[in-house]
Amino acid sequence: SCEQAARLSSMAMEQPLGCGNFNRQIEFLRRAARKVPEVLEQERD
Amino acid sequence: MAAQDDQAQSLEAHRKYLQRYALFHLHDASLAEDAVQDTLIAALAQLDRFQGRSQLRTWLTGILKHKIIDLTRSRGRGLPVDAISLGEEGASSADPFNAKGKWIDPPADWGMPDAALESNQFWQVYQDCCQRMSKRDALVFSMREVMGLSSEEICKNIGITTTNLHVILFRARLSLRACMNKNWFGAGHQ
Repeated sequence: SCEQAARLSSMAMEQPLGCGNFNRQIEFLRRAARKVPEVLEQERD
Repeated sequence: MAAQDDQAQSLEAHRKYLQRYALFHLHDASLAEDAVQDTLIAALAQLDRFQGRSQLRTWLTGILKHKIIDLTRSRGRGLPVDAISLGEEGASSADPFNAKGKWIDPPADWGMPDAALESNQFWQVYQDCCQRMSKRDALVFSMREVMGLSSEEICKNIGITTTNLHVILFRARLSLRACMNKNWFGAGHQ
């Protein structure tokens, strides 16, 4: 089940326990999330 | 008196940044305004404790994080345990799997996506996609991924179990991925 694979991959980000692309994409979106404060800072006041 | 005015003014200079930060997490302009106001009042009262080890803005952001969590708790944004299955939060989280658990539309390769992080337009789409999640999912996602709170801290602060947290984060990640896929990576921006 791809759903089980995706669910377990997401859970593995929180605690020790198309899918390859999915995992790379959610890792990328996590990296993006960590940059949000920096991006908000750069927006003009 | 003049010294106090100067202090208030130095804090006031950070208000707009703090509002953007609060709005990103709370998705509610009025709540964000409250959080920022509380932050600036608390900062003014504690200014003698600011020792310049970090930048003033970093210190203020730390206070604001706590205010956001406090507001979340006091306004009853705790998550009811029964609101945690996939597909219960409207169109933003349409189930991407069929009845057999296979992808309806298997994720395609995004190539080398990190170049997009330099694009202002990318961040506009990213913020829009975060706003399309339910407020609760977006808040939990941003507490975890943007504020960097641990799973334990989030569960304790908003009163959910670890299992609830995993379901919410999974739903948020699916929603954000689908939205970015449609509005950025599938829209010829690469």
